[in-house]
Amino acid sequence: MHQNPPSPATPGGASRFGLPGLSRGRFLALLGAGALTGAGAVRVFGGGSSWRYNTVENPVPAFVPASYRLVIDGLVERPFTLTYDELRAIPAVRQVSDFHCVEGWGVDDVQWDGVRLQTIIERARPSRDAKFVTFHSMQGVYRDSLSLHQSGLPDVLIAYDMDGQPLEQDHGAPLRLVMPRMFGYKGAKWLTRIEFSDVQERGFWEERGWGVDAWITA
Amino acid sequence: MTDDRARPPHRGLVRRFKVPTRLVHWSLSVFFILLLLTGLTNFVPELKTIHIGGARLFAWAHVALGFAMVAVAAVALLALNRSRSLRDDMDALTRNGPDDTRWLRHQLARLIRRGGSEPPVAKFNAGQKLNALLSAAATAGLLGTGVILGINYITKRVFSTVFVADVFPLHTWLALAFIPVLLGHLYLALINPSTREALRGMTSGSVRRDWARRHHPGWTPGED
Ligand code: HEM
Repeated sequence: MHQNPPSPATPGGASRFGLPGLSRGRFLALLGAGALTGAGAVRVFGGGSSWRYNTVENPVPAFVPASYRLVIDGLVERPFTLTYDELRAIPAVRQVSDFHCVEGWGVDDVQWDGVRLQTIIERARPSRDAKFVTFHSMQGVYRDSLSLHQSGLPDVLIAYDMDGQPLEQDHGAPLRLVMPRMFGYKGAKWLTRIEFSDVQERGFWEERGWGVDAWITA
Repeated sequence: MTDDRARPPHRGLVRRFKVPTRLVHWSLSVFFILLLLTGLTNFVPELKTIHIGGARLFAWAHVALGFAMVAVAAVALLALNRSRSLRDDMDALTRNGPDDTRWLRHQLARLIRRGGSEPPVAKFNAGQKLNALLSAAATAGLLGTGVILGINYITKRVFSTVFVADVFPLHTWLALAFIPVLLGHLYLALINPSTREALRGMTSGSVRRDWARRHHPGWTPGED
């Protein structure tokens, strides 16, 4: 006669991987549901949407409104300089776009106010040799560049307000480049000079290994 | 760790964990601690920005340790098939019943008022089982999300930026949420007088017989 062996001695009707009375299947389903809930909570409560600061400008540059100048020069027919007030007097655009850092974190739906870079380009009138644009930070340590074509894309801004407030010092006050289609290191903060050139300058991080074209992928 | 068969357990001591269980515990925990520490450097700008030849020291150390831990965890899983004692420990750790619920309730009640008798405990009490479950879940989650981040750290060509931005906070929050569990585990293993005897079970492999009788009356050493 063949009999089923008695079930292994598990005191008190124990079940495995679970609360009493829960089968392993149900327990795993619970665990899966928990993981999904956690992932959902992260999305909804914005665990993925918090800013971090990175700076190679140390100490972080200070913005003095009275002496601040934005210089536009290089291979252009009409180099010019803007004070902070003049910058704010140019017709502004508002844009909501996502920000992605090359480190992996991102911030969704950032609202930027500023000036389309294309507006600046048109005003400066690049000469025929101008193929690239270099963006310089206040203290001359950080810089990065885009091609002239990339610079003219409609969602490329120089922004002075973030989420309705003037940029904070850590976020690049008074002005930063916003290029939502590329990783954040392309967006120089504490922007003071926009220089047109015929060869592409390698940016601070690009000299340290990151790609010159930093397109993000959906 | 000595060979179990070479020496009988010291008089007054009982064998609690054989070499495979101890090896798995310590190899995983060393990597876990190192990963937690190197990961947390991300929140300390002075440490985060230490570069060696253009590469971020702790980020690369973290990624290298991370892939190494994945390999160690895989070996540990394979060892389950090879070691009877390891399998028995895993089995006892992942099996639970009404006594465990009663034990947890008893411990909660004890926080408020003293007294009451402790429900019977076999080789592992419900707290140890809960710790094992949370540790396993956190580790699986951290290794899973970590591998995605680690690959993305090496090449941006595999995963989409948007996907990585969703995975990253999961990795962060799993690591941060686990810290209290880890601190509780360390407190009970190293500091709390009535429980720290258990540490010897995981280092030398044996614990005092009288301690085992008091804390794990339902466990018969040698029959585990
Ligand atoms: C198992 C234990 C692990 C723990 C406790 C842990 C912990 C952490 C912590 C605390 C951070 C910082 C999170 C933040 O900045 O928000 C982090 C980041 C990271 N982890 Fe882990 N991690 C683990 C495993 C792994 C594994 C297995 C890998 C990959 C093979 C990995 C890859 C990464 C990467 C790439 C980052 C981002 C690094 C950076 O860009 O700075 N982690 N981890």
